[in-house]
Amino acid sequence: MLALRVAPPAIRTDRLSKDYGVGRGLFELDLQVTGQEVFGYLGPNGSGKTTTIRLLMGMIRPTGGTAHVFGLDCVRDSVQVKRKVGYLPGDVPQYGSLTGDEVIAYLGGMRGGVDRRRVHRLAERFDLDLSRRFREYSSGNKQKLAIVVAFMHRPDLLILDEPTSGLDPLNQQEFYALLRETRDDGATVFLSSHILSEVEHVCDRVGIIRDGRLVRVAELDDLRHIRVHRVEIEFAPGTPIPEREIRAAEGVEEMKAEGDRITCTVRGSFDPLLHALRDATVTDLVSTEPSLEDVFLSYFSEPRRRLLTS
Amino acid sequence: MTAVLLALRLGRWGIVGFSLAGFVFNFVNAVAFFQIAGHTPQERAALGATMSALAAQLVVLLPPPIRPDTVAGYVQFRGFNSLAILLAVWALASATGFARADEEKGLVESELATGTSRVALVGSRVLAFAIGLAVAAAMAGMAFVLGVASGNESFERGRVVEAAANLVALGLACYGISLLVSQLTAARFATAAAGAVLLALFFLNSLSRVFSWLSTWRWLSPFRYYDLSQPLPQGGQLDVRAFLVLLGIALVASSAAAFAFWRRDLGGALVRVPMRAGPPRYEPSTSPWWRYPVLRGVYERRLGVLAWSAGVAALAVLFVSLTRTIVNVLLNIPALLPYLSIFVHQQLYPAVLGYTWLNVAQLLFAGLAITHVARWSAEDSDGRLEMALSAPYSRAAVVVERMAVLVAVALVVAAVSGLTLYYASHANGIDLSVPRLTAASLMLVPFALVFAGAGALLASWNPRATVGLLGAFAFASYLDTELGPVFKLPLWLQDLSAFKLFGTPLVTGVEWRSVTLMLLLAAAGVGSSILLMQRRDVGR
Repeated sequence: MLALRVAPPAIRTDRLSKDYGVGRGLFELDLQVTGQEVFGYLGPNGSGKTTTIRLLMGMIRPTGGTAHVFGLDCVRDSVQVKRKVGYLPGDVPQYGSLTGDEVIAYLGGMRGGVDRRRVHRLAERFDLDLSRRFREYSSGNKQKLAIVVAFMHRPDLLILDEPTSGLDPLNQQEFYALLRETRDDGATVFLSSHILSEVEHVCDRVGIIRDGRLVRVAELDDLRHIRVHRVEIEFAPGTPIPEREIRAAEGVEEMKAEGDRITCTVRGSFDPLLHALRDATVTDLVSTEPSLEDVFLSYFSEPRRRLLTS
Repeated sequence: MTAVLLALRLGRWGIVGFSLAGFVFNFVNAVAFFQIAGHTPQERAALGATMSALAAQLVVLLPPPIRPDTVAGYVQFRGFNSLAILLAVWALASATGFARADEEKGLVESELATGTSRVALVGSRVLAFAIGLAVAAAMAGMAFVLGVASGNESFERGRVVEAAANLVALGLACYGISLLVSQLTAARFATAAAGAVLLALFFLNSLSRVFSWLSTWRWLSPFRYYDLSQPLPQGGQLDVRAFLVLLGIALVASSAAAFAFWRRDLGGALVRVPMRAGPPRYEPSTSPWWRYPVLRGVYERRLGVLAWSAGVAALAVLFVSLTRTIVNVLLNIPALLPYLSIFVHQQLYPAVLGYTWLNVAQLLFAGLAITHVARWSAEDSDGRLEMALSAPYSRAAVVVERMAVLVAVALVVAAVSGLTLYYASHANGIDLSVPRLTAASLMLVPFALVFAGAGALLASWNPRATVGLLGAFAFASYLDTELGPVFKLPLWLQDLSAFKLFGTPLVTGVEWRSVTLMLLLAAAGVGSSILLMQRRDVGR
């Protein structure tokens, strides 16, 4: 009988925790990222994104649970893990008076097996002049250098902590294209961000983290289908507006009245709102499909109790 | 006021460290005086003669003592005057730290963004440093008072205040000069340029004690004006004019620095060398050095290695050229003739050269190790360690490679030092034993490794506090050697000092027990560092 060997997931964490005390850190993260996908890791500042990434990279030690990359333990086998990983830290390291080409040569020398043509293509693609000193680079150019370092050895897994910070929109688009190509070439990407448009552009799945706990993991489409709609209602001039009824309707939030217009958000079913409008003369009603931004804000602006039950 | 408080907060560890160093140094020296001086006038006169002989050998570092047979003269010579050098180093580090390091971190930009003017910012930093200096000098003065009290002798309170004030004035002058030079050069050269200027001014004054042709230029050096005031002992006094000149230098240099800061771009130099723009380059460096462990670390520090080698070689030449002068001075002290006659037909020149040069070389190699360790701790905070560990490289390998780079650099500098010493002494008619010179030069490497081992341990344990703690360790090691025999410390405790273990290889050859102990101390440091490094979290 043939035993089929299933390839291990690119990333797997089991109850992974890093407790910094006073409620800060990462708590019991269960996460699985499969091969050849772009996984977006979303959360506000201080939510635990960088802690997760540093745990995966073996930079910090977990206080509980385990993390594996391609089946390798991130603590015990950290050297082997890093052979397979390209890493872009949240804060670009400072290389002072080294030139860009020296930084690449230095880190490439440590890693080994870096293709010079690949470096050339990446630097040219982002128009990064490697002859200049690191301290003379703008923050955007420093970020480009970090991108080249992360991608230069064609890793199987890219772990990127807020990779587009400091990049201008043109270079952001170039970076998104690079991510798609990388995925199509068979690599996996784990990228943290608080920029939702970035996730919309490139990610296949999204994990949302808040206060060190994973709130939800969803396909991008699933996330969009969470029923949070922004609604604008226009009433016929001079007719009564049922403000009290609308405000009291289940699922209606953030209601604002301006003249003959009302704007609000609706969570879940539209029925209660339509019921509240039954006696009014509505001339226009526009419901906007939720952007990821709205979804994100809705998750992070509401009380934790609701989050846990969602 | 807020800017001053922020500056004080940023420099708090410097203030604490140098205040403690000043206190310990002066207190220990004052107490040591009563241990070694004896009680009769004859005993004290003998000590005075010994100190004069020592001063003759240290003439390129310290001014000649006044009444070294008294506690005040002894502490002025060994305590306050040594502290003056230490505080000049602090002034250099603090001024260049503000002018360049804080600027690179964005601290200066954010302070200016609050509406603080550039001139006010410079003023706040100068004021904060002056406060720190005053605290450190007051601690040094208090230590003298307590030390003298322990010997039940009297002192003049006013003289202590004057000695402390003289320290403050010199420190401020050095701060102002360092600040001014930092504004003129590019950021990466600022510390080196300011350090070179201060060192040149220091030697301009100290060498003028030996080379009379330099005395016409020594008015340029702030250290000259410090030397003119030796207020602590009877017979010495505070030279008010020299004191005011020091304050004047501080004021003029700080004002010029403020003007230069006002005129230049943030991150730039006042004097800019126009650069020719070339086409962009997209290739990684083709230098093969980057591919090999250890070599890449040495190559990365190539300018530093060159500077260290050139500096050490220049000092070696200087000390060789001073040796004959020092020996002549020693031979003219009748009290020392019986003692020196033991060596006259044997190894007087190597003995003096060994004492003067190798003592300085030890300090330089301790400094070399500390600069490497400072870099290791900086790599932790600037993210370079995190980036290095993102390569398939174990933490143990990082620690071992760091040490190997230091060994390689120390070997290069030691080789340059040894070769220069050999050729310079040969040219001056001083015959040194080649095997002993080789051994003495090579001994500097394990000597540096002791500090590097301690530094590696500290950098793995608490990178932020590493430099201060390692500086304290070096200071304690030095005190251990100087005062261990005086206070009859246990031999094992004295043996923990690398300065003691170094011995006198140029005269007596290498003691293999000492070399083994030094290597064991270094290995213990590295081993503990690896263990700690495996356990700790990395990242800003």
